[in-house]
Amino acid sequence: MNAAISQLAKIPVFAYPVIGVVAIIIVLILLFKAMWRVAEPNEALIISGLSKKGTVKDSTGDEMGFRIVTGKGTLVLPGVQAVRRLSLDLHQADLVVDCVTAQGIPVHVQGTVIYKIGDDPTSITNAARRFLDQQDKMDQRVHNVFAGHLRSIVGSMTVEDMIRDREQLTTKTRDASGTEMVKLGLVVDSLQIQEIDDPTGYIANLAKPHTAAVQSAARIAQADADREATQREQEANALKAEAERDSAIKQAGFQAERDRAQQEAAQAGPLAEAQARQAVVEQETRAAELEAGREQQRLVASVIRPAEAKRDADIAAAEATSRVAELTAQGNAKRITLAAEAEAAATRLTGQAEADATEAKGKAEGAAIEARGLAEAAAIKARAEALATNPEAVAMQQLAENWADIVGQAASAFAHVDNFTVLNGAEGVNGALMQVASTGMAGFELLRGMFMPKAVAAAAPTPAPDAATAGADTTGGTDGH
Amino acid sequence: MAISSLIGKIGRVTGQVAPGITGEVTLSVRGGSEAFFAHPYDGQEVILKGIQVLVVESAEPRTVYVTAFTGY
Repeated sequence: MNAAISQLAKIPVFAYPVIGVVAIIIVLILLFKAMWRVAEPNEALIISGLSKKGTVKDSTGDEMGFRIVTGKGTLVLPGVQAVRRLSLDLHQADLVVDCVTAQGIPVHVQGTVIYKIGDDPTSITNAARRFLDQQDKMDQRVHNVFAGHLRSIVGSMTVEDMIRDREQLTTKTRDASGTEMVKLGLVVDSLQIQEIDDPTGYIANLAKPHTAAVQSAARIAQADADREATQREQEANALKAEAERDSAIKQAGFQAERDRAQQEAAQAGPLAEAQARQAVVEQETRAAELEAGREQQRLVASVIRPAEAKRDADIAAAEATSRVAELTAQGNAKRITLAAEAEAAATRLTGQAEADATEAKGKAEGAAIEARGLAEAAAIKARAEALATNPEAVAMQQLAENWADIVGQAASAFAHVDNFTVLNGAEGVNGALMQVASTGMAGFELLRGMFMPKAVAAAAPTPAPDAATAGADTTGGTDGH
Repeated sequence: MAISSLIGKIGRVTGQVAPGITGEVTLSVRGGSEAFFAHPYDGQEVILKGIQVLVVESAEPRTVYVTAFTGY
């Protein structure tokens, strides 16, 4: 302080008026600075109070009594004029509304409305008179107003239109809110519906057919691509296999050629050898054939020719002999024929003579038999007569005549005995034979017993002829022997 | 700056202008471009997006009535 005073003291006296002028200028500048107000581009100055000119007037000339200054500066008289700033900035109000669409679907809509105070004096005037002291609360006011507008806008639209048709949304926004916002001096720049939450799942279901179609198309496309890829892959594999096969066939063919050539080369030596040997063998064969031919010629000359000559000679000799034999046989035959004929004639004559002799002898025998028969008949007759008188004598005679046969029959029992075992030796044999003989005797006695009572009992002549007949038969049989 | 200065301006349709709905046109004003609500001037015209339009009439504060502009 003292320093400043001392500095002032140093200022020359003639400088005081200059300092005073400067000080006045500074004061005036500060005063002007304090009175001059500038409206920035995003704000409007509302000046009320003492005002002579520039106040807002309508078309009829009525004025509101205050000035609106935008984009420039103006002088404000402190104390007599009041100046207020009204922001023309963009404002944003977030809206959350539960409402119902035109289809009656309940939705929960989140939207944003972007608005500002209109740039024209009318809008600024309207806004200034409503919000000048409540600029902070402007968003709240607008929110309350616009919630109702949004509800009516959503209520007149379908969900699909809200999602897709922005033009319709903005048109309806203008229709619904234009007039009302103009009253507040506000201009709606934009209304955006940020989110539509629908508890019924309408939007999700709206998307499902398309989603399913797209998924189906995607799967079809993938399957097609898969199929085509697999097809190509298989074709490629087939081509590969074909190429491998062709290659293998060719390789095998070449290998076979190589093997063949190798084998042929390997065989060339033995083949040449064999061919040489074959040639040798052929020559040897030829030589052998020639030798054989020579031997044959020799044999033909030395053996066959002589043999043939001998054969011819033998044939000639044999033919001669044969001829001789033939002629001899013919001679013999002729002789035998003649002899046979002679013998036949002799035999015929002999037979004739014998036949004659036999006939004569037969006749003679017949006469003899006839005579004997007659004699026997006479004898039987006589015997019958005798039997009638003495039958036992006749029977005994007959038995005696036939005794040899009877004993023979008894002995025939021994004929079939191969070994005749006799226990008591030669005496036994005699005993046996005696027994046979005595058996004959016993039979004789039995027969005698049989005949005798008959002969005694039956005096009738009937048995006599039987006995006579039997006797005749027996006799005849004996004669036959 | 009165809104009547919009009359005669040529702008571009950014939201279909048709009877019964609120269309939108973008006009060059105050060195920048602003969007205005638009309706057909004759009440029947349908103007698709991207078509140039002529502002025939304007209404406070942000509404204009337009007709399709086919060239000078």
